[in-house]
Amino acid sequence: MRRTIITATTAGLALALAACGGGSTGTTGTTTAPAASGGASSAPAAAKTLEGVTIEVAAKWTGPEQANFQKVLDAFQAKTGAKVTYSSTGEDTGAYLGPRIQGGSPPDVAILPQPGLVQQYADAKSLKPLTPEVIKQIDENYTPYWKELGSADGQVYGVLVKAAHKSLVWYRDQAFADAGVQPPATWDELVKAAQTVADSGTPPLSLCGASGWTLTDLFENVYLSTAGPENYTKLSKHEIPWTDPSVTTALEKIAQLTGKKEFLLGGTSGALQTDFPTCVTQVYGQDKAAMVIEADFVGTTAEESGAKLGEEAKYFPFPKAGETAPVVLGGDIAVALKDSKGAMALLEYLASTEGGEVWAKLPGYLSPNRNVSPDNYPSELTKQLAQTIISAGESVRYDMSDLAPSAFGGTDGKGEWKLLQDFVRDPSKIKEIQKSLEAEAAKAWK
Amino acid sequence: MTTTSALGAPPRGVLGRIADRVGGGLVQAVLVVIGVFWLVPTLGLFVVSIRQETANNSSGWWTAFTKPAEFTLRNYADLLATGFTSSFWNTVAITVPTTVLVIGIAAMAAYAFAWMQFPGRDALFLVVVGLLVVPIQIALIPIAKLYGGLGIFGSIPGVVLFHVAFGLPFAIFLLRNFFAGIPGSLLEAARMDGAGEWKIFSTVVFPLAKPAVASLGIFQFLWVWNDLLVALVFANTENQPMTKALQSQMRQFGTNVDILAPGAFLSLIIPLILFFAFQRYFVQGMMAGSVK
Amino acid sequence: MTDRLDGPPDPRGDDGDAVAAGSSPGPRIPSAESAPDSATGTTPDSATGTTPDSTSDATPDSTSDATPDSTSDATPDSTSDATPDSTPDSTPASGTGAAAPPAVPSVATAGPAAPAAAGTPKAPRLGPSPVMAVLFLLPGVVLLGAMVIYPIVYSVFRSLYDAGGENFVGAENYATIFQDASTLTTIRNNLIWVVVAPLLVTTLGLIFAVLTERIRWATAFKLIVFMPMAVSLMASGVIFRLVYEQDPDRGVANAVLSSVRGVFGSGESYPDARPRENDQSPVTAAQGAVVTKGSAKPGQAVLLPLVGVKPADLASAATARPAPPGPGELAGTVWFDFTQGGGGQANQVDGTEKGLAGMTVEAVRGGPGGEVAATAVTEADGTFRLTGLSPGDYTLRLPRSNFEASFNGLSWLGPALITPAIIGAFVWVWAGFAMVLIAAGLSAIPRDALEAARIDGATEWQVFRRITVPLLSPVLLVVFVTMIINTLKVFDLVFVIAPGSVQPQANVIALEMWRVSFGGGGNQGLGSALAIFLLVLVLPFMILNIRRFRRDNQ
Repeated sequence: MRRTIITATTAGLALALAACGGGSTGTTGTTTAPAASGGASSAPAAAKTLEGVTIEVAAKWTGPEQANFQKVLDAFQAKTGAKVTYSSTGEDTGAYLGPRIQGGSPPDVAILPQPGLVQQYADAKSLKPLTPEVIKQIDENYTPYWKELGSADGQVYGVLVKAAHKSLVWYRDQAFADAGVQPPATWDELVKAAQTVADSGTPPLSLCGASGWTLTDLFENVYLSTAGPENYTKLSKHEIPWTDPSVTTALEKIAQLTGKKEFLLGGTSGALQTDFPTCVTQVYGQDKAAMVIEADFVGTTAEESGAKLGEEAKYFPFPKAGETAPVVLGGDIAVALKDSKGAMALLEYLASTEGGEVWAKLPGYLSPNRNVSPDNYPSELTKQLAQTIISAGESVRYDMSDLAPSAFGGTDGKGEWKLLQDFVRDPSKIKEIQKSLEAEAAKAWK
Repeated sequence: MTTTSALGAPPRGVLGRIADRVGGGLVQAVLVVIGVFWLVPTLGLFVVSIRQETANNSSGWWTAFTKPAEFTLRNYADLLATGFTSSFWNTVAITVPTTVLVIGIAAMAAYAFAWMQFPGRDALFLVVVGLLVVPIQIALIPIAKLYGGLGIFGSIPGVVLFHVAFGLPFAIFLLRNFFAGIPGSLLEAARMDGAGEWKIFSTVVFPLAKPAVASLGIFQFLWVWNDLLVALVFANTENQPMTKALQSQMRQFGTNVDILAPGAFLSLIIPLILFFAFQRYFVQGMMAGSVK
Repeated sequence: MTDRLDGPPDPRGDDGDAVAAGSSPGPRIPSAESAPDSATGTTPDSATGTTPDSTSDATPDSTSDATPDSTSDATPDSTSDATPDSTPDSTPASGTGAAAPPAVPSVATAGPAAPAAAGTPKAPRLGPSPVMAVLFLLPGVVLLGAMVIYPIVYSVFRSLYDAGGENFVGAENYATIFQDASTLTTIRNNLIWVVVAPLLVTTLGLIFAVLTERIRWATAFKLIVFMPMAVSLMASGVIFRLVYEQDPDRGVANAVLSSVRGVFGSGESYPDARPRENDQSPVTAAQGAVVTKGSAKPGQAVLLPLVGVKPADLASAATARPAPPGPGELAGTVWFDFTQGGGGQANQVDGTEKGLAGMTVEAVRGGPGGEVAATAVTEADGTFRLTGLSPGDYTLRLPRSNFEASFNGLSWLGPALITPAIIGAFVWVWAGFAMVLIAAGLSAIPRDALEAARIDGATEWQVFRRITVPLLSPVLLVVFVTMIINTLKVFDLVFVIAPGSVQPQANVIALEMWRVSFGGGGNQGLGSALAIFLLVLVLPFMILNIRRFRRDNQ
């Protein structure tokens, strides 16, 4: 806490001299140019209009992700004079916000990991509609699809501040070299490569089974690929039941990979006790396994574990399991829970190109903002990923579980998270799992 | 001293004595094993907390004794840099007022229950006895609503108030039983001298109750210090005590153990010191109120 | 006890107060405090204190039966408080002197019931006005009313409404509790908890209390076992997450288990080695062993390729070589058929592949199931020779022992063991509590009864079962009931110890209530119903307490 204050003041001093954001962290002068051009028109670059205002923002990020976001907040503080405090919600954002909303003391701004929550909180009348200034930023910088994700019942509530590319498979180069395999392009090749890597004595897959959302991501990629975009959309809205044969096909495909004990680091039970960042360190820090299937943000943890991106830590696009090459996206949506001036100013900043570019320079971030120049990204790798997201084609889909009511798609130990864990535990029970999924879905959608 | 009494066991002759000796040795051995069993988990936490992160990831803490170079205070430094100190002070700011308030409020009520006549006294006290076992879960939702209305949700006073309310039944029960044991003649004498109720309470009864108050105090202190559930619901991030701060790191146990271990150890060091310093009161309090 | 109460006819100033002192709860330790007045100075001793007095004034009439125990037990004790065990002793080891006896009656009358005392203050006296009483009671009553009683009423009503609180749904939420699979799991788990945990804690407490009775360092032991009571359940959770880690190199529990196992298992073994799948591999897995698919005749060379061996296991292995057989023998190679970096030919001993040393190879006559004709162990380069074979067809087998995994530990935190594992942590926390209470109860048991039984020829076990346990039963009951209430409310331990993916399997009502009310779903109707359900479960104990209290109060 204290440290924040200090950085904030130094940032303020730096700003007085440099008259530009991001000074505190020693970002290079290049910030100035795009920020000035992009921001001048929109965000009032005027004096510190929010002096003395405190804003609390809550998000699930911890560790390096939190540190990076803090730098964006620092830039905002330097610009406006507001004081922003960050609260970590832990992994279960709903459980964190629930009592605070109940108790009438929510944070000013919350960053929701799932668009499904926007609808839910909007229904509960917990969200404040965005002001025209913020909406203007959104219209300028985002495609309508993204805007829609932050809306409920025709009202815009949220800004998609961070995108995630979830159709990636990360691998450890050395493990592939030792086994003599190449990055696969199709599902069958993936299974074969996994077999070869397993034969070479390295468990091919580090599954993050304790974090249920990683399993839903895996399912979504396979489903989008085997069942196609249209079915995907239908299933996301629960217009086709989970007992549909297309779901069976996808689960059977997954079982080819997760159903083999020697494919999973630590076997089935070990895989289900491994949570998300741990499974990455097992691949990169501890060299225990060859692959981890998760989004672009794996890169942050991989670097933390000492692997160089693009050398030791590489990725390939999620292999085609059917007709479609899957691109599943995720994202975090910032919403206002209080109708305060500070909250709206922060959202406006986060939606602006200026804010997006401060963030884009930091590792582990992809901006959904189309006006954030790819040149800002720190590595070639992220640059490519960003391009895929912005030039989102027809078959790109949003993370299905994140669109679902959170009781089904976003709660630890419930709904899809739990049932997919049950599925990994015993892949032979596909039918039973499907039935349970359908029952849970029916409950969640009412 | 007869032989019987010296042995403290039935006179069973030499053989019996030998059997006793051997049995005693066995019992001692068993107890040593059990003691180790009870000690090792906490010891493990301590060692992990002062060991380098990489070392913890690669080998068990028990191997550390052969490699003293692995010991470091860095985990503690890192932990303090994350703002853990503020949650430490939050814990203090929650625990101390709660303990004082519970003792004060409960002592007054207990005095009334023990030494005052009023209609419905026994019935009211039975209610208190009944409330001893009420689970706090029952109050989470209603109190969250209530606090929302009062605007104290998430604040330290809110947390304190909740703890005080749920600490009262036990405290009243314990103190009332103690007060009731004070000889009536003392109070009679004071009343004869014309002392008012408040004066009797504050100068005669309360001072006599020191041992009971100490028992209650230590109990209450530990109870609140160690609480997680109430903090989880009623404390904001900036007001969160250590337990909640630790819990938020728990989900990523594997990667966070270098923060969790020192955090857990810091959180238990004060209760342990108190425990060792005041354990006699602790035990007495426990005996007196083992209904909770 | 009885013996003492009516034994020495003490001058009890006011009878009522003496009884009160005797049965008043623990804190009543006038010996520790400067005795409040002269009256109490004597009363506690007469009522409770077995010792200092009884030795002095019981001597004339009861030397024979009072001495054995007062010397063996009482005398040391009465002094011990100060001497051998030094200060900390007085308490946990309080079985003895000052602290315990006053505590015991409170327990004996079943904890809450302690205030048999209650009757006393009713003695006629100058009563203050009820108005004063109201003032004294006000803060407490207001708080209890607003924050404990009102929430109960509120929850009852709230539980009859839906998630949003707008629509009346009657008993639907309660029906959900008994229909939903996940809440049923929580109820099942709570049932396991209630059946197992209190019994374990009470039994262990009893055992510890009995064992420590004659140990000189009992105080130290009691302190160690009692210590977890001071540690938060949150920190205990962290502690046990460490203990239960799966990897035997990190978790103590599995480290202990695997080192115990390690004594039995030994030798070279390749737990991960297996035949290559789905191809022309000449070998196949059969019941844990690896056998050749075809058969071989003496004079042939046999290849036994395996894959999946961890590179670390082969760090010092030699390069595999083919083995030319001599006449009348079967020779061959067992090797890791995987060329580092890929590219090697399957089922061929390529130049760089490593031999698997120390593998046992058996030649089985005829088909599988036939008798073993010869056995050999592979060399460093993976070669083996089976000699002395008569002509015929042989199947080669790598028996199971080659592949026996070094014990990898139990998955304590997996779905099957999670509840027992958490109960283990619970026992760790609470056994000390049980032990101290029971030890206090033990020390109050009249020694002479035990002695008499022993003199009559009863064995220690009989004494324990027929005399000690029955006399202790009130204490045991208090411990047991306290533990039941605790297990019903268990929350932190489950929340902290069970990893995310196993929480549904470990879930208990108290945790589910929190999750349902404040988690992603946010169903406060169901949450209230669960809270009421929990309250209903503790209701019998509430009634028990009240009834006991009233009975003792009459």
